[in-house]
Amino acid sequence: MAFKIETVIEEHTAKMTLHGELDSLSARVFMTEIEKLAGQPIEVLVLDMEELDFMSSAGLRVLIFSKQKIGTHLSIYIVKPQELIVDTLEKTGLHHSVTIVDQYPV
Amino acid sequence: MESKSFPGVVASLDGLRDYVDELSRQAGLAKKATYGLKLAVDEIATNIILYGYEKAGLVADFRVLSEITEQELIVILEDEAAAFDPLANQMPDASDLSKSLEDREIGGLGIFLTIKGVDNFSYEYFNGKNRNVFVMKKQQS
Repeated sequence: MAFKIETVIEEHTAKMTLHGELDSLSARVFMTEIEKLAGQPIEVLVLDMEELDFMSSAGLRVLIFSKQKIGTHLSIYIVKPQELIVDTLEKTGLHHSVTIVDQYPV
Repeated sequence: MESKSFPGVVASLDGLRDYVDELSRQAGLAKKATYGLKLAVDEIATNIILYGYEKAGLVADFRVLSEITEQELIVILEDEAAAFDPLANQMPDASDLSKSLEDREIGGLGIFLTIKGVDNFSYEYFNGKNRNVFVMKKQQS
């Protein structure tokens, strides 16, 4: 399914809603959205993944990149990821560096 | 063995995953096993396309060979890039995986997810071609 991403920035929070499948092609689009945040006073990144059906390591690399690019102060919330995506986050230990929630604000 | 070719470009990944979905359905794999196989095939195909082909300036197809036996689904990715054994690279270990995002290396996760996602993964170089072999055991009823 085609990948789609919508970004809304409110004060210090950037909320991105991801749809479809995140592979090494669509990760380029995701990366571009993250790069736009660099230099802005963003403290919280909220990624709504309820409608994201697939995420490869290319998507994980963008998560790693976002923290390294925007800054270590950045808090990342992942909203309603599907079970198999949670499984990928857990296998790779990335669930320790993000907060998985059912909704945001929590 | 069934065989299907895909152009060696990242835009092929979507169709490749659909094809693996279809093979998994034919083999009766469960949802989690299907996702694990799809992720594994996507990761290896990405490496073939980005490093074996694009970076090397090679324009070529890659092939998916498949066979459904009584016990398992076997999927083979065959490409014409220079010999490359994904298993020869060092995998992230427990210490790497417990690092925070800011201390993480960007690479190495793809092959890790490949091995974790399938029942067996192997590599061979045969007749001038790389063959990455993924095996999923069918569910016992």
